[in-house]
Amino acid sequence: MKKIALAGLTLSLLIFSGCSQKNPEIDMDKSGSTTVSTADQKVSDISGVDANTMHSQNMQNAQNAIESMIANLESKTAKVFFDFDKYVVREDMQPVVATNAQIFNSTDAQAFSIKVEGNSDEWGTDEYNYALGLKRAKSVKDSLVAQGVAGERIMMVSYGESNPTCKESNKTCWAQNRRAEFKLLP
Amino acid sequence: MIKKFIMLFVLTCSLVAYDSTVEIVKRMDRLPKIIFQDASSENMQQGFLQKFHKIIAGDLRVSSHFLVDDTYFKSSFDGNLQENFMSETKSDLILRYQLSFQEDENILAKIKLINAKNGQTDFYKIYQISDTQRYPFLAHKIAVDINAYIGAPDIKWMEQFVIFAKYTDAKQSEIVISDYTLSFQKTVLKGGLNIFPKWANKNQDAFYYTSYNGAKPTLFKVYLSSGKRERVYASDGMIVCSDVSKDGNKLLVTMAPQGQTDIFLYDLTSKKMQKLTQYQGIDVGANFIDDDSRIVFVSDRLGYPNIFAKTIGDSSLEQMVYHGKNNNSLSAIENYIVYSSREKESEFGSGTFNLYLISTQTDFIRQLTASGVNLYPRFADDKETILYIKYLKDQSALGVIRLNANKSYHFPLKVGKIQSIDW
Repeated sequence: MKKIALAGLTLSLLIFSGCSQKNPEIDMDKSGSTTVSTADQKVSDISGVDANTMHSQNMQNAQNAIESMIANLESKTAKVFFDFDKYVVREDMQPVVATNAQIFNSTDAQAFSIKVEGNSDEWGTDEYNYALGLKRAKSVKDSLVAQGVAGERIMMVSYGESNPTCKESNKTCWAQNRRAEFKLLP
Repeated sequence: MIKKFIMLFVLTCSLVAYDSTVEIVKRMDRLPKIIFQDASSENMQQGFLQKFHKIIAGDLRVSSHFLVDDTYFKSSFDGNLQENFMSETKSDLILRYQLSFQEDENILAKIKLINAKNGQTDFYKIYQISDTQRYPFLAHKIAVDINAYIGAPDIKWMEQFVIFAKYTDAKQSEIVISDYTLSFQKTVLKGGLNIFPKWANKNQDAFYYTSYNGAKPTLFKVYLSSGKRERVYASDGMIVCSDVSKDGNKLLVTMAPQGQTDIFLYDLTSKKMQKLTQYQGIDVGANFIDDDSRIVFVSDRLGYPNIFAKTIGDSSLEQMVYHGKNNNSLSAIENYIVYSSREKESEFGSGTFNLYLISTQTDFIRQLTASGVNLYPRFADDKETILYIKYLKDQSALGVIRLNANKSYHFPLKVGKIQSIDW
């Protein structure tokens, strides 16, 4: 499953030809030239894996069952929301974390790793915003561990402001985007 | 006559250049007035000629070293009595250019700088550019040369490539190379979430960026001429290349292997990663200062993001800014630091982020923007020009601040939202 996902993600990466030279193209002797980048081809070479031929029908069926189980479990989890510029889990969010911990500790979910994705609102676009998202993920991870979820099952990532669930520019929307959410990984 | 006011202008510039944190209210008596004459063939596309005129006029205006008359004049290239003086415009200089398309899509540009007081050609040059799409760089190159000819302070920063990431959708972004006006744009990387591009060296022939398309956020280096991509380092949580040393051999990296964002120094030669800060909160955005012996960075160790500095290898910290309660991004060059500061603690206030300039050598603080959302400042090599992102309602724009002239200019991005920039 991971391999398929990675292959797909790698295949989706396209590097186009770059701007190889700047000054040589503006010159007096008319000798300037553009070096054509071969990045497209090279990245294609790196990702030259045909994921479709790697798996039998049986494996496909098993994967479908796993994906279905993950989707079902993920749909039961709830997002954890944060105050503006804060990364402490609010008191009203503690029951949400507790419920999520129960789901992650359930028999169906025990085999899966948990990815906590931290997110921030659109206010600020740089490293601090990504760090804020990560601190939110860390706070949630610590709370989950305190609720009995094994720490080694949990990985964290910050998407900063890059993954808004609401794209309007107002108070309600920003509050919805300051969140941590969960993905299960086989 | 022209020489006299040019000398006065240069002298004035040199007198005020010693401290950029001191705001210059009146800095020069008179700028040379320049007009433009297009001597290109009528067969050339008028739309293209208009765009070229707009860019070169804009360049000289942004230089802040000319009084620019935007009027679009047509002329012959050889000129005549009327064309060489243009006395009704009361101009000092005439920039006459003739553009023509050559075979293989080359553009040939012949230019003359004419002293409008005596009708004599002071400066003549021929340029060629091999890719029509890069005509903005042709205009920038001409502007740099004209500016140098009159002896004004260097504006070579106009020739630098800007690299930026822009969001196109949720968890989707592209990395784009452009000129400083965004007139030229070339997407060099797309597919998935690829952010925080950073030039790898002054030659701008390679760049670092963070990819979110694998199991862990991963720092890659891409060589533009070959398209070769190298994995540099990966970390759980996040990884960003914040700055590159002058020699290009060391990186300041924000990383969070245990979920805590700290600042690390990565030696590209020895492949060793050295942890420079250790704090349970947020440390991010480090820049080299003082000949790469110290770093300045953003930390929330006071309970809000603020600017701190430390010597590499020393554990003690120095608070650099005593103003504002949310100073969350910065750029540094030698002794100068520019940072963005949220003016109100609530996100609901208007006029939220402004840019400020400080010096490590003085206590002065200079406000650079007055309103709006102004973030992600980046110094040019000349220390007098700052590029930054300005967020408008549904758009973002590149902003350029010319410190000595106390002026700023905006170049809007029509599609997408800029995530980060470097130049």
